[in-house]
Amino acid sequence: MTNGNDGNDGNDRGDEGRRRARTAPVDQLDAVPDALDPPGWGGDSPHDAIFTTPELWGGEAEVRENDYQPHVPSRFPDIESVASEVRELERRVRARLTPVFPLEVRRNPPLRSILRRYRQFAMRDRSAVIDEMGRDPVYASRFTPALDFLYRRYFRTRCQGIENIPATGRAILVANHSGALPYDALMIMRAVEREHPAARQVRPLLEDEVFHFPYLGTFLNRMGGVRACPENAEKLLAEEQLVAVFPEGIQGIGKLYRDRYRLQRFGRGGFVKLALRTGSPIIPVAVVGAEEATPMLAKITWLARVLGLPHLPVTPLFPLLGPAGLLPLPSKWLVRFGEPVDLGGEGGPADAEDRLLVARWAESIRSKVQDMIGDLLSTRGGSAFA
Amino acid sequence: MARADGENGTRLRGPSAEARDRTVAITGACTYLGTELIKLLEADPRYQRVLALDIRRPDLPPDLIKTEHHPVDLTVPTVGSQLAGLLRGVDTVVHGAFLSFPTHAASWAHELEDVGTMHVLDACAQVAPARLLLLSTTMVYGPSRGNPNWLSERAPLRGLPQSRYVTDKVRAEVQVARHADEHPETAVAVLRFAPLLGPTVSNYVTRFFSRPIAPVMMGHDPLLQFVHESDAVQALKRALDRDVSGPFNIVGEGVLPYSTVLALMGRVPLPMPHFVARRLYRALWATQIAATPPPFLDFLRYLCVADGSRAERELAFRPRYDIQRAIHDFLGLTAEDEPDIARAQG
Repeated sequence: MTNGNDGNDGNDRGDEGRRRARTAPVDQLDAVPDALDPPGWGGDSPHDAIFTTPELWGGEAEVRENDYQPHVPSRFPDIESVASEVRELERRVRARLTPVFPLEVRRNPPLRSILRRYRQFAMRDRSAVIDEMGRDPVYASRFTPALDFLYRRYFRTRCQGIENIPATGRAILVANHSGALPYDALMIMRAVEREHPAARQVRPLLEDEVFHFPYLGTFLNRMGGVRACPENAEKLLAEEQLVAVFPEGIQGIGKLYRDRYRLQRFGRGGFVKLALRTGSPIIPVAVVGAEEATPMLAKITWLARVLGLPHLPVTPLFPLLGPAGLLPLPSKWLVRFGEPVDLGGEGGPADAEDRLLVARWAESIRSKVQDMIGDLLSTRGGSAFA
Repeated sequence: MARADGENGTRLRGPSAEARDRTVAITGACTYLGTELIKLLEADPRYQRVLALDIRRPDLPPDLIKTEHHPVDLTVPTVGSQLAGLLRGVDTVVHGAFLSFPTHAASWAHELEDVGTMHVLDACAQVAPARLLLLSTTMVYGPSRGNPNWLSERAPLRGLPQSRYVTDKVRAEVQVARHADEHPETAVAVLRFAPLLGPTVSNYVTRFFSRPIAPVMMGHDPLLQFVHESDAVQALKRALDRDVSGPFNIVGEGVLPYSTVLALMGRVPLPMPHFVARRLYRALWATQIAATPPPFLDFLRYLCVADGSRAERELAFRPRYDIQRAIHDFLGLTAEDEPDIARAQG
């Protein structure tokens, strides 16, 4: 589409006409069709669409299946939307509704000022426009200081290999999972946002047990977490975002302290299929320290089943101190991002159906993460809290 | 009239010459979408005749020239042959005779929606119209733990098994899909509308959000999605103008958490655990105070958000109202009434 500023020259309906139209009183709406020029189209005439829309002079607009363009507000609406705009305005004026531009006739909700104050109060810590996967930037920024405190002062996190994360483009971070609560997901998000020069955001994929857990799931969703399923992951990767997966899943969270840093089975290799299908590199991530932050000494299986929880941990502080016992211990954390592994070089999307290949890749990534954990544990030295 | 496009509908056509002199029959003409569609068709010279089929005359201006109303009651067992007579010469059937409120008269609703769809399809099988449009809702996907954030048209129709209101709509969809398989001469399109929100439409959603207090399931805050009433009508008109087939999600732009929707509307949230809310709603529903039966509380717990990119691609439908503007319009506010909130989004 060309810029309309040039096309305006030959337009017989100049600025004067439009100015007249804007100030036209309501009862002349039918007489002055120009009054139906709604805001948002700038100063350009909608009739310019005739030059840019092939449909209007008999041609055919062709749209291919995968030619999906994101919503870019066009300056030239096609004739159908011009007509619909006019019809909608007419309908609104007839029904005496609030039209798109100010009118004297306006619906008045009762207790307008109280309603307005209440709405401002209720909207104080949330954004009216959110990410399409549910991340609320205002809500998330409210928790940034607390998470920064956890990251820097409390866990004294050391981050290594941040340069392995690309400045742009998609990637799948594959990390080990531990702790009764998913602090590791939040700390990986913080690490990349703080340390990476591009301050990239990581979208962790949460297993159903976490995502649908009351309050916790909602909180993580507003912070940027997404329910783990292929559709969501593919959508995020298609938008060139960073996705963090914890293939150990709920098994990883339910690890006992004596099994710490021993990786569980890496699911069914869903993340490998995802990488093969979308052609995304895999970045192995090792997190050390999370196991000691909420060391799970035992699990009360029967009570967890009664309460409908995935597992009910017994830590040194929980359930002894009640909900406060869920706060983590001040262990020293190390986060390492490994070299990206590009699966696309070996095969292609068709390989995602090859179960054996997927299992081999999953095992190879798992051993990479396990090796990195071993490395970090040996560099950390004796005490987990020093 | 043959379908000009390929089966996958990859090409769009502008209003073509062969689309002239169309005759459209609309069941459920008294619904919001039916009435508004009749008004649009009345103004469009490409459509020659409009049959408004409903038990009573739709609320239309008296000066309509193309529209004729025929009283049709889809709950009558012999309505199939009456419809077959009426639909002769009709090339497009829009089937929208669905209730916008869940009702206590569940068996009557079943007769109207499920069995009524059967009657309409029986008549269509005999008359073989070129096109059939079903007006469905995104409710047929159902709120479920297993839903992805954006449900495509290929997602399974899980519905809400405990609710007969939703189940009837799923069954209507299943019947229509079977009809499309068995009758390839009829191009069948299904429009699944997100809950309609707007200043004039009246349905269970607008009634729910008109109350000053709204229940909140403790710990759950799913993302909600609406489509503005006028956008919904525009999408319906576009689907009618173009030769498309298959299912389309018709949704507004953007999603918001339920709690934010309540905050934007200025409604007071009343948090309660699900098992309390279920019992409360059973009582409120039995006494006809609540507009929705207890199973609908699942919409306040789990995601049921549909992806409208297919409609954007193939119908060139772009909603003019995003969710925030739709809410403002529902409340009767304009952006300049709400400078602070409007600034907060920017």
